Amino acid sequence: MEYVSLFVKSIFVDNMIFAYFLGMCSYLAVSKNVKTANGLGAAVIFVLAVTLPINYLLYTYVLKPGALLWLGEGFADVNLSFLSFIVFIATIAAIVQIVEMVVEKFAPSLYSSLGIFLPLIAVNCSILGGSLFMQNKDFAGIGESFTYALGSGIGWWLAIVALAAIREKMAYAHVPAPLKGLGITFITVGLMGMAFMTFMGISL
Amino acid sequence: MNTNSNLYTVIYTSVVCVLVAAILAFVSQALAPRQEANEKAETISQILTAARFADKAEWDSKGNDAILSFYKENVDKAWLVNAQGEECGTLDISKAEIVTVSGLKKQNYAIKDGSELSLPVYRFKNGITVVPIYGAGLWGPVWGYIAFQQDLKTIAGAYFDHESETPGLGGKIKDDPSFRAQFAGNRPDFNGSTDEVFEIVKGGAPKDKEGKDVEDNKIDAITGATMTSKGLDEAIDTWLEAYKPILNR
Amino acid sequence: MDAKLKETILNPIFKGNPITVLVLGICSSLAVTVEMKGACVMALSVILVTGLSSLVCSLLRKTIPNRVRIIIQLVVVALMVILVDQFLKAYAYGIDKQLSVYIGLIITNCIVMGRIEAFALSNKPLPSLLDGLANGAGYGLILIVVAFFRELLGSGTLFGFPVLSALGYTNNGLVILPPMALIILGCIVWIQRAIQKDLQEK
Repeated sequence: MEYVSLFVKSIFVDNMIFAYFLGMCSYLAVSKNVKTANGLGAAVIFVLAVTLPINYLLYTYVLKPGALLWLGEGFADVNLSFLSFIVFIATIAAIVQIVEMVVEKFAPSLYSSLGIFLPLIAVNCSILGGSLFMQNKDFAGIGESFTYALGSGIGWWLAIVALAAIREKMAYAHVPAPLKGLGITFITVGLMGMAFMTFMGISL
Repeated sequence: MNTNSNLYTVIYTSVVCVLVAAILAFVSQALAPRQEANEKAETISQILTAARFADKAEWDSKGNDAILSFYKENVDKAWLVNAQGEECGTLDISKAEIVTVSGLKKQNYAIKDGSELSLPVYRFKNGITVVPIYGAGLWGPVWGYIAFQQDLKTIAGAYFDHESETPGLGGKIKDDPSFRAQFAGNRPDFNGSTDEVFEIVKGGAPKDKEGKDVEDNKIDAITGATMTSKGLDEAIDTWLEAYKPILNR
Repeated sequence: MDAKLKETILNPIFKGNPITVLVLGICSSLAVTVEMKGACVMALSVILVTGLSSLVCSLLRKTIPNRVRIIIQLVVVALMVILVDQFLKAYAYGIDKQLSVYIGLIITNCIVMGRIEAFALSNKPLPSLLDGLANGAGYGLILIVVAFFRELLGSGTLFGFPVLSALGYTNNGLVILPPMALIILGCIVWIQRAIQKDLQEK
């Protein structure tokens, strides 16, 4: 039950885009049509679901104050948390790069549809944001961190597909010329964000 | 040279990683004593601000040594208590020994998983007693100090700090004096029907016609900083509950 | 100064602004534009970080293996930001307390990465440094404009001093919330593209 509520909460209440406004750059840039939005969304779900449990393990067993206790009593006071930023970033960049290489080698068709988004994801702050939130939320185990990652990823995917659908429809609307494209997208996202705020009050 | 060969890539990456880790470790080791001294003085100045000896800005202008000596002169007793409120250790006043934020973090884990506690209590010569709180805000930890009057029931003052809350929103728990000022005169309620000892209410605490708070244990949350307010609320509840044996006598 | 360098400096401020044209660094521009003070601090930090990290990555550009370039770039940026943070913590604690909340936002700011990737890796150190600085400045400009409206309309103050609130203005809480920052950004884009017709999308 806890997993279900964490899952639902991370999709809607703690939505990466509308509650925290993370990962906006690629969100705005790659939401012109539903198909590419789907691709990027899937890539974000995948990378979040892989990197977050890994970062969880790194944090719990290496970086957290006193985390090195399993090496022996002498390591009880070692605090490596000053490294956590750089370790998280390196993990994410490494995973993204590995995934890119593997996909390119073994599934060229998937690579041609997804591959171009992968480098974009390394700099997508929702991924690093996920790892930083994990550090803050004190998850009980790797299962919880995986659930959270999956939920956040799906929330991000949902948000980008919704925006892409709106933008596709907007092609038929009369938008003032200077506002076309980026300008109206900003305003649309702002309005969507206000709508999503209604989820904030829900406690699960 | 072929910079794209596998061997070169692996060696280059390893060298960069080792180099960066070494630089960071060296710098953080070399600077640790100075950083710790700064952190200690900062913590003490926060405790003193909560106890309303002077404003935070005044402490910041005074420098580390002045803060430490003021603390040593004015503190009556500083000790550690366990979950039953019994004394389980003392903090050396002559060395201005205190529990810093990283210590609070450890105690926060201990409160959550129910293991042995040693929570700090600072009592000053003017009868004010200060206890810390610690919890998670939106982006990182939030913590603070709540000062109680001699009866150990009425709040005399409070000070909060955070690691990375958004400036202007969640950051207001620290920067907005009017948020902190709400605490003075309030009383945490340990015997109420809910498990909320103290509440930070989104949209404002219930008020009477003159705009005064109806209930003593409720204050207004910060507009636009729901998550930070929620986190701080939970931190206060959890920690005051842990101090219940000494606060609810 | 030759024309190309001048172009490198002037372009990012208006015509090729990182926020309104390249769509980089949106997340942080939403987070730190609630008040002018925060926006100014963030703008200065980003100018410094983009400039310096572009310079360093440009110096390293011939040695970085293509396949791992993203990791190397991120590590370089993060290393510099953390180093600055550590030194400030030891020798200028007061300043560090003001800045520490921005550290995470600076590392994840895609302007830094975006400029390294798009410019510094294929250009000489001096133009890279200038490009980084100018992009930071263009970013900071938008930040300050958005913060101006949000602080003025949301809290009725500027740099914490009462302006509108002294005139009996009722604060508009909506402007404090992040969605409003997006809408203000949308309006800025609108104005910019009304002036610069070649940026308009079809």
